[in-house]
Amino acid sequence: MAGLELLSDQGYRLDGRKANELRKVQARMGVFAQADGSAYIEQVSSIKGSRSRTLHDRAVINCQYSMATFSTAERKRRPHGDKKSTEMSLHLKQTFEAAILTQLYPRSQIDIYVKILQSDGGNYSVCVNAATLAVIDAGIPMRDYVCACTVGFVDETPLADLCYTEESGGISSLALALLPRGGQIALLQMDARLHQDHLEAMIEAAMTACKGVSKVLDEVVRQHLQEASSLSKE
Amino acid sequence: MIKTEKILHLKSSRGRKVRVVREHYLRERVPCYSALCQGDCDNEGKVLPGDLTHYVVPDVGIVLDFLEILEFRELQGIIFTQTACQAVQHNKGRRQYNRLRNLLKDARHDCVLFANEFQEYSYCPREKGESQEKWQTRCVYSAAVWYYNHLAGMKNIVMVTDDSDAVAQYSSLNSGVYVISMQEYLHNFWLDVRAALELYSSIAQALQEREGEVSEREYSEHLPHELLEAGIKSGRYLLGILNVNKHRAQQEATVTTQISSNKSADISGDVLVFGSKHRNRAVYGDSVVVELLPRGEWRGRATALTETQGEERSAEDPSSQTMPTGRVVGILQRNWRDYVVTFPTREAQSQSRNSQKILTVPWDHRIPKIRISTTQANALQDHRVVVRLDSWESTSLYPNGHSVRVLGRAGELETEIQTILIENCISVPPFSEAQLKEMPVVSPEQDLRESHLVFSIDPAGCEDVDDTLSVRSLSGGRLELGVHIADVTHFVREGSLTDLEARARATTYYLADRRYDMLPAVLSANLCSLLGGVDRYAMSVLWELEADSLDVASVWFGRTVIRSSYQLHYELAQALLNGEEAQVPELNPLTPEERDHRLTQLTQALETLTHVARHLRAQRDRGGALELEGMEVRAQLDSEKNITALVPRQPLEVHETVAECMIYANHWVAYKIQEAFPHQALLRHHPPPRQEYFSQLQESARAHGFSIDTSSNKALALSLEQAVDPQDPEVNRLLRMMATQAMSQAMYFSTGALPADQHYHYGLALDRYTHFTSPIRRYADILVHRLLMKALEQEAGLGIATASNRELEETAQHINNKNRAAQRVQKLSTELFQCLFFRDRDPQTDPSCVSDAVIYGIRDNGVLVFIPHLRAFSFFHPSPLSQVRISVLSNRCHADSLLLQLIRNLPHESQSPAPGQSQPKVQLVQEVRRQAEEASQQKASLKGRLSREERQFCQSKQPNLYSLLEEIRELALMDSQNYL
Repeated sequence: MAGLELLSDQGYRLDGRKANELRKVQARMGVFAQADGSAYIEQVSSIKGSRSRTLHDRAVINCQYSMATFSTAERKRRPHGDKKSTEMSLHLKQTFEAAILTQLYPRSQIDIYVKILQSDGGNYSVCVNAATLAVIDAGIPMRDYVCACTVGFVDETPLADLCYTEESGGISSLALALLPRGGQIALLQMDARLHQDHLEAMIEAAMTACKGVSKVLDEVVRQHLQEASSLSKE
Repeated sequence: MIKTEKILHLKSSRGRKVRVVREHYLRERVPCYSALCQGDCDNEGKVLPGDLTHYVVPDVGIVLDFLEILEFRELQGIIFTQTACQAVQHNKGRRQYNRLRNLLKDARHDCVLFANEFQEYSYCPREKGESQEKWQTRCVYSAAVWYYNHLAGMKNIVMVTDDSDAVAQYSSLNSGVYVISMQEYLHNFWLDVRAALELYSSIAQALQEREGEVSEREYSEHLPHELLEAGIKSGRYLLGILNVNKHRAQQEATVTTQISSNKSADISGDVLVFGSKHRNRAVYGDSVVVELLPRGEWRGRATALTETQGEERSAEDPSSQTMPTGRVVGILQRNWRDYVVTFPTREAQSQSRNSQKILTVPWDHRIPKIRISTTQANALQDHRVVVRLDSWESTSLYPNGHSVRVLGRAGELETEIQTILIENCISVPPFSEAQLKEMPVVSPEQDLRESHLVFSIDPAGCEDVDDTLSVRSLSGGRLELGVHIADVTHFVREGSLTDLEARARATTYYLADRRYDMLPAVLSANLCSLLGGVDRYAMSVLWELEADSLDVASVWFGRTVIRSSYQLHYELAQALLNGEEAQVPELNPLTPEERDHRLTQLTQALETLTHVARHLRAQRDRGGALELEGMEVRAQLDSEKNITALVPRQPLEVHETVAECMIYANHWVAYKIQEAFPHQALLRHHPPPRQEYFSQLQESARAHGFSIDTSSNKALALSLEQAVDPQDPEVNRLLRMMATQAMSQAMYFSTGALPADQHYHYGLALDRYTHFTSPIRRYADILVHRLLMKALEQEAGLGIATASNRELEETAQHINNKNRAAQRVQKLSTELFQCLFFRDRDPQTDPSCVSDAVIYGIRDNGVLVFIPHLRAFSFFHPSPLSQVRISVLSNRCHADSLLLQLIRNLPHESQSPAPGQSQPKVQLVQEVRRQAEEASQQKASLKGRLSREERQFCQSKQPNLYSLLEEIRELALMDSQNYL
């Protein structure tokens, strides 16, 4: 069967983006009052909530990832607790252990809950981005923003920020979480075959994309801060 | 960018309806690719010229049905919309879509793609309840309107659609955008392109026919794609390419399965598909999916040779080995091309007079008859016509097609040659007036004009001299060997029109009586050609060799300027080497002393060269390489250059010397480019042959008391060397030819596409090989030249992008295909000439019709023979009387009837109602006499036609057909006198 043409000769992708263009990202912070911090991010139309609780001996980070039953085209049976979600939770945990200044919170635990409301590819990276905003909203100090992005590889061109159709098209893809200011990589994950010569180009593209995401997040945070401060002035 | 959302209703894999939301991004700036653009679009690549009367935007339906017409180069200013392209991709499959893509990439063709669905103002979302066709038409129309506005009304836009509602609805909406039907469009704008009009009516008729057709089913339906895919994955079905047995086209076909899809061990290689019901509408070359039949129904390949096609042979041969047998359940990819067919004569037609449909017989045996609906049946009878297949419904016994153009009357030389070209997908229009643009001046890195003695050795009368050689001793006793190749890339810039044309042709085609050049004559015979006494740019490889061991001390690649001092030919060079008296034309004007001095100099150079070449050869032999290479060349001469092969030709040592130097240069360049571009270098590999192909060779050798070891290339060469019958020199030659036939073909590839252990060249026994030395007649060499230049620039620190692995692999495949086609064409054209030659001989009286032959194999009802002086393999059905003779193996057989067989064996003859196998001899003789008469008539008119041809192509500089035929006759006479 003729596979979909993910990148046309003119350089357009299926949804009209060019190879290095990200999807439109919209985000809001502080959406829930119950949690210490929360955020809603729409890169794939997904909501994530996060809050922190202070409990234990030293900062332990606890992540839980789940998908709403209505988040994919076909209804999911189990919203969380399956293998995929467990793995994803673990990845998130590792990412944030690298980014949050845990030593400042001895004897405590930080819980991060993410829930995908609607999925259109790049679940991991959107989770990271949303969780970053939520952690910032909660006022927990971090080394830097953690920004994540997926990159796929088609026709010797890296495609930034894959959508669901591209992800399921059987191409090798890579997820990368970056602390953009220092250029440190918090997590790099890939489970497909790729020639090692191309790896560098992929990582390069992913880092550029992550930096783009960080700009957007930064803007969101600043805007949120402004709104909050103007509210508190009144 | 603006984000919108598309809501799609799709069917999930379980058949449920699913609502899917997809993001869809629009942007304001989408390149319009028009020279008139006012909004400074980012127009890269092809641009539509501004001086046309209009631009045309074809609707989806037009692109789907009439793409062939849009392919005419005369039609200019075509804007394909993205909507239409996607429709092609979805409805017509990958092949058609690739055709469209190639069209868009082709710089010679004036058409562009507009991504209308990503343009903010031309995108229109599909409304609720709107049918897909209506929506597509609306999209295309809005794209047309966008163009009109974008170009500020400077250019009229014509939208072509066959939807009459759309014509009515849109035609009066905008003043500069016209909406008309295809027929109207062609009549109004391209009335002078007759071929397009004819093609239009032909396709339209075929389309109409297709609609009103319902009858009972002849074949079982194909399974849907998803089932096939799943079946292949699970191993229930096998995927492969359908291959039809040329001699039993109706009954026997095999599917060569891909090894990867082949899980069960007992199915090795091919699957037999027997009978047309099981073949289920698959045509030769299609990629099909087969299901294996239960083991009880397996059968063997018929070993009996028969020409009575269509007659069911019930007597199944019990002794023949059964092989896996299957039936076609689906076709993944049609591989239809243009076919040449012949219209039947009037008598045969009259039966099907009632309908306008006519069954035509393809030139290629392996293609089924094609049904064509036409009104010109009377005018076309006995003509050869190019047709394309449209469809093959399960209700129809034969596929439907439409005619594309008429080639001419069957049996005429021009028609036959055109037929051969088309059947091999070769198109060689005369070079357009594409001007050679001002070439950039590249400063050569070294000037070798004074320092080196450069000379070329080629066949006598050669015009396009690709390669020259030089050799000199350096201080310190070292030798410097140089190979200098014409610098074609200097004149043919990448991406220029000349380059595109050369790439499309990929090689120069040598036919028996003419040749079609890859590059225009001004380049190939003059500017690039390294002629004697003139300054020329060259790409050089210079080796510095140690004095005694001849090991390479250093090697240098680069651009040079040279002046060839002597343009030698092989015989002359050999004469000089042998110390014989020889006239070197370049030395004639000199004084005797000077002449002697120069002559000694040249002879010495030649001797050194021979010495070096011998050493190189020995080196390769030690490395495991072999006589095979020499054999390959010989076989080439044998099987292809048939007419020259009639000349008793001695292989001279000089041939080998030159060849060895070229191989050496190719080898080193291959190393160089692979080192620089590990994944994007164009190399040539020669995979080891499949052992089962050797069985016939081994059998024949055993019959003569020799044993052939085929385990490795070295062993094979060695045992071939020993298999010489002192009484009969033909035996060894025959064995070598059979070995050559078992060889797989050498192919170009991109290094990134194959693992390193498959880079090996089996025939030459070199781990790396490429083609570098003939850029004038091979496109691959041009590519390698460019790669080498880039490698050198990269060394100098200039980062230069090369074509990616995938692009290069695509090009390599294209060149491979063209090379194969070129070889076939060459072979077919020699066969054609053989046939023409024997057509006007009387087999009863003419001695040239009698020839010796060697039997090399026996089948149930015939023997396989080899005719040495024609270098032709053939088969022969003995009459009951001579059956006794078969029992004597390798016997010399009387050839009178053999030649009759040969005549009838040629494909173009069997088109005319072939005389049955059991026909008495008298009738056959009559048949041949009748043909002889025709030929003599034809001959009378031949001269005039050929010279017209010469004017048209400006390429045929060879002697004309008449003298050529006379030549063959004389040679054949000589031969037969020797034998008799």
